[in-house]
Amino acid sequence: MARFDPYENNGGTCVAVAGADYCVVAADTRLSVGYSILSRDHSKIAQLGSVLKFDVQQFRAEKCVLASSGFQGDIKALQKNLAAKELVYEHNHNKKMSCPAMAQLLSNTLYYKRFFPYYAFNVLGGLDSQGKGCVFTYDAVGSYERTGYSAQGTGAALMMPVLDNQLKSPSPLLLPARDAVTPLSESEAVDLVKDVFASATERDIYTGDRLEIVVINSSGTHRECIELRKD
Amino acid sequence: MSVSAPLRSPNVQPPPPAPVLQKPSSLLAATSDWAVSLGCFAPQIFEYNGSAVVAMVGKNCFAIASDRRLGVQLQMIATDFQRVFKVHDKLYIGLSGLATDAQTLWVSHILLDCYQRLVFRHKLYQLREERDMKPQTFASLVSALLYEKRFGPYFCQPVIAGLGDNNEPFICTMDCIGAKELAEDFVVSGTASESLYGACESMYKPNMEPEELFETISQALQASVDRDCLAGYGAYVLIVTPTEVQERVVKGRMD
Repeated sequence: MARFDPYENNGGTCVAVAGADYCVVAADTRLSVGYSILSRDHSKIAQLGSVLKFDVQQFRAEKCVLASSGFQGDIKALQKNLAAKELVYEHNHNKKMSCPAMAQLLSNTLYYKRFFPYYAFNVLGGLDSQGKGCVFTYDAVGSYERTGYSAQGTGAALMMPVLDNQLKSPSPLLLPARDAVTPLSESEAVDLVKDVFASATERDIYTGDRLEIVVINSSGTHRECIELRKD
Repeated sequence: MSVSAPLRSPNVQPPPPAPVLQKPSSLLAATSDWAVSLGCFAPQIFEYNGSAVVAMVGKNCFAIASDRRLGVQLQMIATDFQRVFKVHDKLYIGLSGLATDAQTLWVSHILLDCYQRLVFRHKLYQLREERDMKPQTFASLVSALLYEKRFGPYFCQPVIAGLGDNNEPFICTMDCIGAKELAEDFVVSGTASESLYGACESMYKPNMEPEELFETISQALQASVDRDCLAGYGAYVLIVTPTEVQERVVKGRMD
């Protein structure tokens, strides 16, 4: 008997690393269903606030980037929903949303659909109000945490131990709270992200094709792409 | 607090099932029932005790390492559990998967039983051939032994590592029914296998000397088990070179 199944997993992996004055957000561009590849060039990274790009010049300095893996249908809907809410916020407050505010908004948006969730595993990266790098990592129903680095998606289990090994952030339970940002320089962090993706691509069939890296720092956001294995 | 079902002693047989009408497709039904029961049992059994075993090849040497935790699901039972066994001076086998179960008799000592049978077979070989077994031969022996139990397997996934002729390193792993997987870099198994694949893929490089190999395998194992609730509590690491065998106990996060 045919049953309505509204969810699909389109695979892919997202990583974010926060530094003292930068944040690196990266994701592969493969879009798969089961054993098939639907696209080798599908971006999983959304620049939040880009709806206002053409509108007002001062809103151009985006400070928030969202990378999501899971069901791309839900992810598109989630991004649209977030963009609409962000637009309302900007009109109400006459300022751009900060990254921690966006993090809380994303959590609330996800929890709002607690019993029919968005099948989306998100990593939100950006700069906080002091200009420090921040990474927020989520589950599908909006439980979230501010960390120094995170990986989500099908290759997360392969990448996390390596990131732990290289970046090892202090326990979030320590008092007084320690800074979670990584000690690496921006270029070192980008290299590390490239390395872990190259490794995960070797063993995860859902990760590959191309790696899209977005670096957010005080001068704005920069996008970079490198090739990954295509098999 | 009351116990809802009476405790059953192990030698009391459950009552025979009520007779049912034989359907024309009974064979098919029985087969799929069996497949379903094995399919939902097997993953739980493999994760019952928790384990992580990894072997890596270096330059004329190899390393094999395992974690030290023995648990029953989330509860820790022992913190010095050995999963790597010596077959002879240059040949070792690590057995991940179900270790031993203090409460349920029917699965007790499956891993140890598997190991003892292997030692027994190797001793027979030594007596007949008056030499040690080559790693390749031993891997075939393990594979055959596991496939003997094709439909009621030993719930362990072996990792075999040894030095063969001319001290050529050999590593291999197989599934619980003996499908061999040879590799020239590293092999992993256990509940932390996915993490281990990621860590080893990032940290391994070819032709490492014994000391560097020790550092690499320890870092990879430690990083992996720290992301696995069921494995950990330090590690046993064996570095085997043509001339010596070093066994080291690595302390990591002891929690």
